[in-house]
Amino acid sequence: MLNNTIAAVEDGRQPLLRHLEPQAPSPRVINRLEVIFEELVSNIVRHGFKAGSDQSIVVVAAVRPGEIELTFEDDGVPFDPLAVAPPEPFTSLETAKLGGLGIATVRKLSASVRYEALAAEAQPRILGGRPFRPRNRLTVSIATST
Amino acid sequence: MDVQHTDLGDVRKITLAGRLDSAGVDLIEIRFGALIVPVGKHTVVDMTEVSFLASLGVRMLISTTRALSRKGAKLALFGATPPVMEIIETMGFNDIVPVVASESEAIAYVTE
Repeated sequence: MLNNTIAAVEDGRQPLLRHLEPQAPSPRVINRLEVIFEELVSNIVRHGFKAGSDQSIVVVAAVRPGEIELTFEDDGVPFDPLAVAPPEPFTSLETAKLGGLGIATVRKLSASVRYEALAAEAQPRILGGRPFRPRNRLTVSIATST
Repeated sequence: MDVQHTDLGDVRKITLAGRLDSAGVDLIEIRFGALIVPVGKHTVVDMTEVSFLASLGVRMLISTTRALSRKGAKLALFGATPPVMEIIETMGFNDIVPVVASESEAIAYVTE
């Protein structure tokens, strides 16, 4: 469970890598996992959370044949990042638009990405001693045979 | 994340070391820009010790290169490791900013 600071990226990265160590993913897969983790957690903290709030992200890693699946649930602003049009490819330095690079990169590095909006009235889970009512769930799978 | 600079004649060389993730960019972005843009020299950036690159790092590199180009100077990166290069290519960054193998190639590019 990650809290509402940019340090959450590093706080979560190391335990994630330790959890996946027994699977001995290749360096390429590890890098993809780390980039996806960085992009999604930092985006949620920067854009989905209110500064200083106790909002949280829960990340679950599941290993399946041929893939690793990461599920991110957060109680930030309801937002479907997959509904945003990907940025245009870069054609020149002057015209390069820098928004949306993170989620576009996640889509390219993963085998699949899916988003679910979660109901506000759902029964909360108790995590870290407080109720957690996630509003967003993003599930990303990364091929391990890459 | 660390940033150092040196001058190779008329070319400024910037050496980055560490992770260009959100925290790393927050730490060095202002200094990185200040070492390059006001100076206005052709610049090469040594990426050999950069172990990780994400979108905020790419944004920092593009913004700085753009600001420098408006002063008539060029910037090239060199020495990116395979994991960093995968992200550079995935984002298409090398379509607009040159990323070459060696320091000498980077210097040749910016001074031609």
